[in-house]
Amino acid sequence: MDSIGPGTGDGTITLDDSTWDRLIELTGGAAGPCFQCGLCTATCPVGMVRDETFSVRRLIRRAQLGLSVADSDLWLCAACGQCEALCPRGVDVARTLRGLRNLAWEQRQAPPGLPSVLWSLYWNNNPWSQPPSGRSRWSHQLAIPRFDPGEHELLLFVGCTPSYDRRAGRIAAGLVRLLRAAGVSFGFLGDDEPCCGDAAFSLGHEPFFRERSWQAAEYLAEQGVKRMVTVSPHCYDIFKNHLPGGANGLQVCHYSRYLAELLQVGRLPLKNAVAVRAAFHDPCFLARHNAETRAPRSILEAVPGIELVEMAHNREDTICCGGGGGRMWLEIEAGQRFAALRVQEALAVGATVLVTACPFCVACLEEASAGRQDGLQILDVAEIAVLALDEEPK
Amino acid sequence: MTGETVASRYGPDQARSTICVYLEREGVALAPVSLELLTKGNDLARETGWDLTAMLLAGKGDDLAQEAIAHGADRVLLAEHRLLDPFSIGAHAQAAYQLLLKDKPSVFLLGATPNGRDLAGRLAVRLRTGLNADCTTLRLDRDRGVLVSEVSGFGGGVLALIEMARHRPQMATVRPGVFLVGTPDRRRTGRIIRTEVSLAQEDIRTTVVERVTGQEIELAQVPLLVVGGRGVDGNFDMLEELAGLLDGAVGATRPPVDDGYVGRQRQIGQTGVICRPQIVINCGISGAFQYLVGVQEAGLIISINTDPEAPIFEESDYCVVGDVHQVVPALITALKSREALSAEAGKVAHA
Repeated sequence: MDSIGPGTGDGTITLDDSTWDRLIELTGGAAGPCFQCGLCTATCPVGMVRDETFSVRRLIRRAQLGLSVADSDLWLCAACGQCEALCPRGVDVARTLRGLRNLAWEQRQAPPGLPSVLWSLYWNNNPWSQPPSGRSRWSHQLAIPRFDPGEHELLLFVGCTPSYDRRAGRIAAGLVRLLRAAGVSFGFLGDDEPCCGDAAFSLGHEPFFRERSWQAAEYLAEQGVKRMVTVSPHCYDIFKNHLPGGANGLQVCHYSRYLAELLQVGRLPLKNAVAVRAAFHDPCFLARHNAETRAPRSILEAVPGIELVEMAHNREDTICCGGGGGRMWLEIEAGQRFAALRVQEALAVGATVLVTACPFCVACLEEASAGRQDGLQILDVAEIAVLALDEEPK
Repeated sequence: MTGETVASRYGPDQARSTICVYLEREGVALAPVSLELLTKGNDLARETGWDLTAMLLAGKGDDLAQEAIAHGADRVLLAEHRLLDPFSIGAHAQAAYQLLLKDKPSVFLLGATPNGRDLAGRLAVRLRTGLNADCTTLRLDRDRGVLVSEVSGFGGGVLALIEMARHRPQMATVRPGVFLVGTPDRRRTGRIIRTEVSLAQEDIRTTVVERVTGQEIELAQVPLLVVGGRGVDGNFDMLEELAGLLDGAVGATRPPVDDGYVGRQRQIGQTGVICRPQIVINCGISGAFQYLVGVQEAGLIISINTDPEAPIFEESDYCVVGDVHQVVPALITALKSREALSAEAGKVAHA
């Protein structure tokens, strides 16, 4: 039997009621229903990239017993939701692990490097240590108007990573061209766009996350936003599922769903042929956390010339790129990054392009494919749709 | 809470019109940041007619006191005590506190080094005064005797000017490298004021068991950084040679670290070291965002890459389109011949 906590050396462990109470509070008792079958550990993708499995079960047991969490494994979880999809007891594993992480923050046991991510969120309104005044720099050539509720049907919520990471910025720029081609009237919030707080959420700092996301939602309400489209599935998930007290009636959707609807009503002219063999990598925060597998595929299917193939793991059975759960800000050992698995799966089905719909997935997949000689290209759905766009005046 | 603030141990009325600089040591010499602060303090003193005081806490300190005078100090408060060497936060905080209460300087400056920051925070609390951390500029308002500290906030997007109206000393820390070091004048004279401090062994709760100098260099602090990416193909010897000629250090992006060419502690970027060198030379780096985060605050960015479309060039001050395997050796040759030339010139001069 493996040990489950800090012991006295003779096999006994000491339970601390106050830690137990605190964990119940932080996790909302999410670990309660677990009967320790271990399916979570068995199905966790960490087991696909290293010999030693990641014992999700053991962490849940710790949460049940109220044991402190000095355990570096805690930061391995990518919040991909694979284990939750299969759990026979419906345990909210991601929430349990976020609660354990929250306790680690309280006990000052967060790994080095992470506090500065949260400080950046605090000072800079983004987790990337970038100046707030540069948030809209990506868009200067595009002259996107400031959102005006009287004039615009839609707010484009860009998010931090597309705003500052030039690579991810191309996704946002592509989306702008698509929305314009479809004649959608929209605006954005420029440098004033608030961060949704995803970094604080996924790294498990619940109180700070609540503060940030609540401020963000309040600001959006003040600006008269009723309907918005996000570039990132992570911002989408935050606004849709994790805003304390709901999102003030805010209608939020991921851009892939919005484009799919535009296509359906014939507003999106995807006419040009794009001759590629494309595999779609489902982002966890669409496929698993939000049951969205259809919309991005319907866009790819509408592009003439695309031959869509499915990888071994697809739709709700996707494998995480490795960038969720705050792992964009953590170093994962070479050879243990999930993205490499996805690149191999894409090559195995003869794809020439690996398409996804998330800035984090693009970053991880591109990193895994860079330096390879097989020429696999990584594109976002918005980028591939732009290639098909027939922008000639009708 | 009312608007009343806690009074500092001494107020503006009792404060002496002097700028006091805490001297930090590095080995047997004064730390560069202390010399920088003395130079800046000297400028401020000349502008306002104040004098410049240096505070030296040491086991034995005459030579260093003379050094401080050469760098602009008019007077040196020297406390010598066996417990002040080697540095311990307990002894230095205690001694500095006693000297400050005795001398009552209006302004007290420290380097934003690990020990300087530690000391500044403790002293500010004991003195019931404020502390402006990591200032980027200091000015002294002559008429009001008020120090104006410029602090950048929000990632450089906002500058705040901070003043301390009612509390003394006006404390500030400044990071190494912000101010320049002036040329020392060995003929300058100044007063060395020896002062007794009372310290007890119990004040010191740390003991230096052994001093170990690690192999690692502090990448976050180096002034010049040569960074290699995937395009270097593991040829880090070449980069080491270049860095050696330029008195810099070598860093790497993630791929060469993954491939085992360089240790993880040399990785620059979001999940590695975030640094702010004066100059960074990017060799064979395409410029992934996660890397750029680590060098964006460099003073000057020079990049060498074969691909003219590489994203790194959009962030660079100088772009060299070329193969690092040709450009870097050429640079090394040029630097060596320049060194040889100046060595020759040196011989001629001494002849």
